[in-house]
Amino acid sequence: MAADTASPIGCASCGGTGACGGKGIQTLREGVWTNNPISIQVLGICSALAVTNRLANALVMGGALIFVTVGSNLFVSLLRNVTPRRVRMIAEVAVIATFVIVFDQFLKAFYWDMSKQLGPYVGLIITNCIVMGRAEAFALQNPPLVSIVDGFANGLGYAIVLALIGVVRELLGAGTLLGYSFGALSWYTPNQVMVLAPGAFFTLGFLIALYNVLRGPQPEDAKP
Amino acid sequence: MKGFRDSTAYPVVYSACLGLVCALLLTVVGGFTRPYREANAKAEEMRRVLEVLEVPFPADASAAKLVEVFKANVRVEKDEARGTTRYAYVPSGARTPEAVALAFSGQGLWGPIDGLIALEADDDTVRGIAFTHQEETPGLGGEIASEWFRNQFRGKKIRDASGKIGIRIARGRTAKGAPTEVDGITGATLTCGKLEFMLNRALRRVFDSSRSN
Repeated sequence: MAADTASPIGCASCGGTGACGGKGIQTLREGVWTNNPISIQVLGICSALAVTNRLANALVMGGALIFVTVGSNLFVSLLRNVTPRRVRMIAEVAVIATFVIVFDQFLKAFYWDMSKQLGPYVGLIITNCIVMGRAEAFALQNPPLVSIVDGFANGLGYAIVLALIGVVRELLGAGTLLGYSFGALSWYTPNQVMVLAPGAFFTLGFLIALYNVLRGPQPEDAKP
Repeated sequence: MKGFRDSTAYPVVYSACLGLVCALLLTVVGGFTRPYREANAKAEEMRRVLEVLEVPFPADASAAKLVEVFKANVRVEKDEARGTTRYAYVPSGARTPEAVALAFSGQGLWGPIDGLIALEADDDTVRGIAFTHQEETPGLGGEIASEWFRNQFRGKKIRDASGKIGIRIARGRTAKGAPTEVDGITGATLTCGKLEFMLNRALRRVFDSSRSN
């Protein structure tokens, strides 16, 4: 593939993590677990905190991000050899914005109530660091198929964390799950803090701590 | 080709083409979803009218259901000459309206304010007030849309003892229980003043000119 030489940055930028070269499973693992966009990279926190007071909102937001990262990664990757280096960011944002607006319009047309609840946060996916980050760091240097996998993996990693926060916040903040209340929880007095922003911070903090415990000690932790 | 790739014009041509393709795609998607979006926005407007008139409707009503309830219970009377819109709530079976909602609008502190004020059948007692659009300072002027502020209007009179229209949004200490007065919002003097002005203007437009006719 002579065209690959036109790619501005070589595969070496991956730092030998093995994400390049069509290693789908590896890429998937990185996005969802070892390099999760929220719990490791701590990106996209704004929306992760804002829309997770209900599990349903968190799920739709996660779905929206999967759609956008997959779509934008695919097209940024397809265009990677013809995109002039100087305007690559403009090109990325144009592609990302197109997908986000398509999703937003779809919600407004067919899921009006959900669209009202998510408010501006769907449109704000355009500025979500995860999407731009994946386009810039991965799709720009990799072929389309593995870029789709990477987009999906990172979207899924984001969606899973959002769903977890959503479960905790809705359960503790409203005593329901996906809007259903449980008879067994009738004694529970909903804790308003969990619905508000501080509740999201607490939940995310505990979640990242739990994640680090599960992942075990890392090589970089040993350094002084 | 290689020469063109290196030229200064290439990024410009590339960006223009990409922008054009994206714009075309969004135009198609926008055109496709437009009727659905407009129907949703319309239903949302109807929901506000139904709420302020206290027309009963299921909380999880779909857009189609809202339109149905609206059409069955509400008569819209537009007066082009005076520029007013009245929504009369005539329950099925009844002959005279149970309540009437009037649209009001005006300039707020940061942007336009649009809303509805519902009056009982006596055209004097306030049933409720709602806002369809406002962009006042959150926490200060934005509080006009909050429940505690709006609930104050319920049961108030739009006319004072002498029969003149004049709802007052009071500053500082209010005469408790005054029939035309509601408590203003501390820190939102300008918003409250503008709201008071636009409410009375809308009410006068409907009632004063009809009396002089």
